[in-house]
Amino acid sequence: MVLRVQDLTKEYGDTTALSNVSFEVPDGSFAVVLGESGAGKSTLLRILNGLTEPTSGSVYLDGQEVTNSRSDVGMVFQQHNLVDELSAYDNALTGTFNRTGFLRSLLNSQPTEDRELALEALSTVGLLDEADQKVSHMSGGQQQRVGIARALVQRPTLLLADEPVASLDPASAETVMAYFRETVKKRDLTTLASLHQVNIAREFGEQFIGMKNGEVMFVGSRSELTPSILEEIYGEIQTEELREGTEAAGVNGSIQNEAAEMRTER
Amino acid sequence: MSTDRDRLVERLLRRFVGDTREESAIRQRHSELKRARLIRRLSQSALLAGIAVLLYVSLNAAGFWRTEWMEYWPQFVEALAQYFPPEVYFGVIPFVDLARYYRFMNEAGLVGEAGITLAIALAGTIMGAPLALLFGILGNERVTPFPLNFLFRGVMSIIRSIPALVWALIYIPLGGITPVTATLALGTDTIGELGRLLTDELEEVDDGPIEGIRSTGAGKAQIITFGMIPQMVRPFIAWAMFVLENNVRSAVSLGIIGAGGLGVTLTIEQQTFNFTNMMATILFIVVLVISVEMISQRTRSYLRESDDVEQLSFYQLVVGFPKRMSDSLLK
Repeated sequence: MVLRVQDLTKEYGDTTALSNVSFEVPDGSFAVVLGESGAGKSTLLRILNGLTEPTSGSVYLDGQEVTNSRSDVGMVFQQHNLVDELSAYDNALTGTFNRTGFLRSLLNSQPTEDRELALEALSTVGLLDEADQKVSHMSGGQQQRVGIARALVQRPTLLLADEPVASLDPASAETVMAYFRETVKKRDLTTLASLHQVNIAREFGEQFIGMKNGEVMFVGSRSELTPSILEEIYGEIQTEELREGTEAAGVNGSIQNEAAEMRTER
Repeated sequence: MSTDRDRLVERLLRRFVGDTREESAIRQRHSELKRARLIRRLSQSALLAGIAVLLYVSLNAAGFWRTEWMEYWPQFVEALAQYFPPEVYFGVIPFVDLARYYRFMNEAGLVGEAGITLAIALAGTIMGAPLALLFGILGNERVTPFPLNFLFRGVMSIIRSIPALVWALIYIPLGGITPVTATLALGTDTIGELGRLLTDELEEVDDGPIEGIRSTGAGKAQIITFGMIPQMVRPFIAWAMFVLENNVRSAVSLGIIGAGGLGVTLTIEQQTFNFTNMMATILFIVVLVISVEMISQRTRSYLRESDDVEQLSFYQLVVGFPKRMSDSLLK
């Protein structure tokens, strides 16, 4: 599915969270939204998921305007937003709610097909054995993987992730992102994720959308994401981890690609 | 220059004559403090005298001097002896005759009466609790939009403003003062009490899971059932146990107006001047209420492991009993 966002504007009273945001994400590609906190990333994702209404503008999937975005668009949240009191399996099953009636979901009697879909999604994120565990007893990384499973059970045409690894330790973040990439590649899902760790973004993203103060200031591929552009998006970068990310961006395209290939072989 | 010389002279003079200036300052401060203390003492005495007068006037108004309560003092002492019948154990240890209490408890079948009291409280709580949950949820702004949610909150407020005792009076036409009307009264009371507690609890429900369920394209009923209610299960059980505690105490007081159970036995024994039996019943009530409180509090502290619920010790349970009893009588 090709995602096309056109002239999206969102105003909260006097403040403009998004102003005339337009970009396109090609079918099956992994796009990353970059930007400081408050740049409008979350608002953009929430509008794409239908959790927030835009003031104006529209969203198209394969040329068709999205109206019932919630069921077609899966969403992974920073704080996972799972129901802590339920098991991983039951949480994954909540992904079927858009096609299950209230009574059926209340009696927990989804069709077998949907139940197997939920288990398949859990197995995709490596949690088949933990399916009956309560979410509150899981680690942050596992919870986030359950969040991905829930989004997959929706059978989405577009997958969104709002800072999916921002509250995880580096190792868990890596694992979650690896599962995330594998999942979307396997299902050929168009994905849009906001990430603020530049190094993770560079490793996983194929297309980059830089935002600042609610405006899109950069759309381009990995090789086009130069240190000067990163500096423009984030301002002066002091943290070492982030600086490494920007320095890596300085390496020329071919070496970059080789490195990426090596990483995938590994 | 001249001032400097003046100071020098002053200092020399003081060394000869003694520091009169400083000494007089101390004396002056001393007498000041003395006066201040005298004033304070006088005003304190005046206050005490005022309170004494107030007491005298109030006692007078209550007819304290006119009535013959002082003449009845010996009778009260006699009654005390009946409340706590004395007995000498092993020929040496004087103590209350517990055997007489025990005999009455058996004769009057207090276990059965306690069963009725407990049944009234349990049935009332179990019938009222789901309605309280329903009203609590419908009264929440996230579920029912602003002006409409106050409809449900208002109903709960009205129910709460009427004591359980009065609810029992309202239900009398349904069949006199019986365990049935007592149960209905407690059920109604539970909707108001528990509903109010749950409303507060619902305000603190985490938005995350609600948003998570919403993001899947779920309907409103699904969002409430799966995003909100799972977060409410623990607080719901904990608060229902708390309300059950209150309801057991209320059930006793409803018995006093005749609605069955231990309260009825209590009034009968009091009105027939069987004070030993009355005290036996009171002791039984204490045992029943404290047992329920202990079970309830254990359950609650188990349910909210991390949260700090006031965990009363056995001592506090016994000592604080009269206060809690009267609170639920008059609430």
